[in-house]
Amino acid sequence: MSELLALLDYEFARNALMAAVLASVLAGTVGTFVVVKRLVFIAGGISHAAFAGLGFCYWLGVNPLIGAVVVAILAALLLGWLGEGRGRSQDAMIGVLWAGGMATGIVFIHMTPGYAPNLMTYLFGDILTVSRADVQLLAVLTGAVIGVTALFYRTLVAVAFDETFASVQGIPVRRMTTLLLVLVALSVIMLIQVVGIILLIALFTIPPMIALMLAQRFVMVLAVAVLAGLMTSTGGLVGSYWLDLPSGPAIVLFGIAALVVVRALNWLRSGYHARQAVGGPGD
Amino acid sequence: MSAVLDVRGVTFGYEREAVLRNVNLTIGSQDFLAIIGPNGGGKTTLLRLILGLATPWSGSIDWPSGLLPGAVGYVPQFSTFDKNFPLRLRDAVVMGRLSRGGLIGRYRRADYQAVDRILERLHLERLAAVPIADLSGGQLQRALIARALVGEPQILFLDEPTASVDAQTRRVLGEVLNELNQRIPVVVITHDVTGFATQVKQIACVNRELYYHGSGQLSHADLAEAYGCPVELIAHGVPHRLLRDHTPATVNA
Repeated sequence: MSELLALLDYEFARNALMAAVLASVLAGTVGTFVVVKRLVFIAGGISHAAFAGLGFCYWLGVNPLIGAVVVAILAALLLGWLGEGRGRSQDAMIGVLWAGGMATGIVFIHMTPGYAPNLMTYLFGDILTVSRADVQLLAVLTGAVIGVTALFYRTLVAVAFDETFASVQGIPVRRMTTLLLVLVALSVIMLIQVVGIILLIALFTIPPMIALMLAQRFVMVLAVAVLAGLMTSTGGLVGSYWLDLPSGPAIVLFGIAALVVVRALNWLRSGYHARQAVGGPGD
Repeated sequence: MSAVLDVRGVTFGYEREAVLRNVNLTIGSQDFLAIIGPNGGGKTTLLRLILGLATPWSGSIDWPSGLLPGAVGYVPQFSTFDKNFPLRLRDAVVMGRLSRGGLIGRYRRADYQAVDRILERLHLERLAAVPIADLSGGQLQRALIARALVGEPQILFLDEPTASVDAQTRRVLGEVLNELNQRIPVVVITHDVTGFATQVKQIACVNRELYYHGSGQLSHADLAEAYGCPVELIAHGVPHRLLRDHTPATVNA
């Protein structure tokens, strides 16, 4: 333990920890909406589309995150606009954005002179390379996303639960869904730093899935999902340090292990209750 | 009696095929209207148009008394949401107050007090903290009615409210709708018009077009005429006999 604490003397370790905390807060909050509203595939499409902007800015020589933010938001707006009543075109468009974004990004990185060591970083994540400036940008984006979610909380939950009813109540459902997709886009950018484009969908889904098994109210699901995200990302980081594994995959696999354990405990508990009920005296 | 809703010459369809043709319907402030008709005849489509969830190809839908969006109560069929959504019954019902306070509003104490009153009226108060995933069909149906009523609507629409519900829910539903109809118009989409035989004052049969039957006292002749509409309805399995047996006792009620 003291060995781990000593690590925090290094700036890269402090940055990594901060990034993990911020990413967990986001993944837990926005990811819960993504899971209950079944936007997982859309989140995947946005994150892969973002790679186009990332590659473009890499080629320009400016901070690739800026390009990723811009393209991710454009993709979210496009998918939100396509959303209503045109399910098939939205579904197909996700595929186009997914592949097109990756292809564009790779082409730009290919065109950039010199060796491209960061490509793998963006695909699979390397939280240990997160810079202080990155952490600051993450902090600002996290604050913005959480603030907007808190502001529109009641409406977002209602739209996630029952779009039809919300619409009858006069809620602009389509605009609120698009807002949610923009929040997804911003969160995607942060998660790219931590686990990379290919694995970030795990941080969106695993903590909320754990939370949905443990909590019964939406606000509690959010809280548990954030905690589960914190456990997953810090646990994965510690595991990657001890076992000398790449951090992104370690975080994802640690999360899946936690999910399996919680599921098993849940199963044992409900089995216990079922046996109690059957064995109980004429109850 | 003033008109609350005025549907004029509405035509609407999906893709290129018209589902509803030239529909006219006026709902008055004391009406209890049953909308019946075969599956695929356009009942639910008409309701979606009235609720503003779809826009007619032609014709108009007006609220002469100027209803605000939140003033329309709506009880959907089960299938419009995910039953495993992490909400307790109380959290789901309070959503009926969404139209108050705007997009960035919060539920206030008055909202929860209104919820508690409605839950008591629908005999749901003991289930307030139960997750909606653990409710029975009848309990969930009552929760949806509570959600629609808690917003204090000025008109209430129910889509197949008696499909797969228990006896208690049927009874409570009957009482509540009777009481409500003293003040506001009630519109029920149903296959089972006998379930509301004591309350229904008007019947509209929707099968591509709308056949409107009777305002004021429901008579034997009105019902017979209602079932004179296209054959699909009768073939659909609402036996004539049942209705006729029940009406003499109920018309006088």
